[in-house]
Amino acid sequence: MITTAEAIERLKTRIGVDGPEVTAPVEAGHVRRFVEAIGDPNPRWTKEAPPTFLVALAPVSLHLADAEEYGQGWLNGGNRFEHFAPVMIGDQVTSKGRVVDVYDKAGSSGNMLFIIFETDYTNQRGELVARVRGTAIRR
Amino acid sequence: MKLQVGQEIPELVKHPTTRQLVQYAGAQGDFYEIHYDQPYAKSVGLPGVILHGLLKAAFLGQLVTDWLGDRGTLKTFEVSYRGVDMPGNPYRCRGRVTRVDGGDVELEVWGEDESGKRTTVGTATVYMRS
Repeated sequence: MITTAEAIERLKTRIGVDGPEVTAPVEAGHVRRFVEAIGDPNPRWTKEAPPTFLVALAPVSLHLADAEEYGQGWLNGGNRFEHFAPVMIGDQVTSKGRVVDVYDKAGSSGNMLFIIFETDYTNQRGELVARVRGTAIRR
Repeated sequence: MKLQVGQEIPELVKHPTTRQLVQYAGAQGDFYEIHYDQPYAKSVGLPGVILHGLLKAAFLGQLVTDWLGDRGTLKTFEVSYRGVDMPGNPYRCRGRVTRVDGGDVELEVWGEDESGKRTTVGTATVYMRS
């Protein structure tokens, strides 16, 4: 177990550093399984991906071993989706994530470590289609 | 139909089950054990398996896109997870218009547990074609 200060110190070196680019196709079968899982029967999702689908295409948080040395578990604090263009079935989407901030806060059961992630999603025409932010919490 | 600030949009009530959490874990590729392994969830201090935050976000996304239909597009959508929710309990998604500026419309959206506690709160901005 490491202290929050040590974890923050190590994680801060990752701020602004892009993770690896991942390119994946938006497959009809994957979108179908996703909309079945969320229980959204809108026929629009036979052509287009629903608003939160991109998180299934590439993880919104980078795997950070340094953070996992702190606390006992992860919690998701929140997400923000900005949509710039529709994501259609058949698109090839490239995602690139980064850490944008790391800080700690005192909670009711001790200190909690907050890591803010941001992922940009670009389609095969080079258009930025969405930006997704996530707040990952270690406690 | 003219939109009024303060107007509520039609609610959406979901009935998440443990089965749905497993389905969602597979579809999203999030295999964190707190969403399907009861002993593991309890070992990290949770009351049992809990809904994925992103599943609750998807429910609220559906709330907005069901209401919007083909009248416009969802531009931004932001949610904070304020409490844990367990499968087996209904999850009530609601929303209210907070700002109308031409085609730009802002909504407050939230998800309530059975006791009416808002365990997910957020905002959505949409652009409505005239």
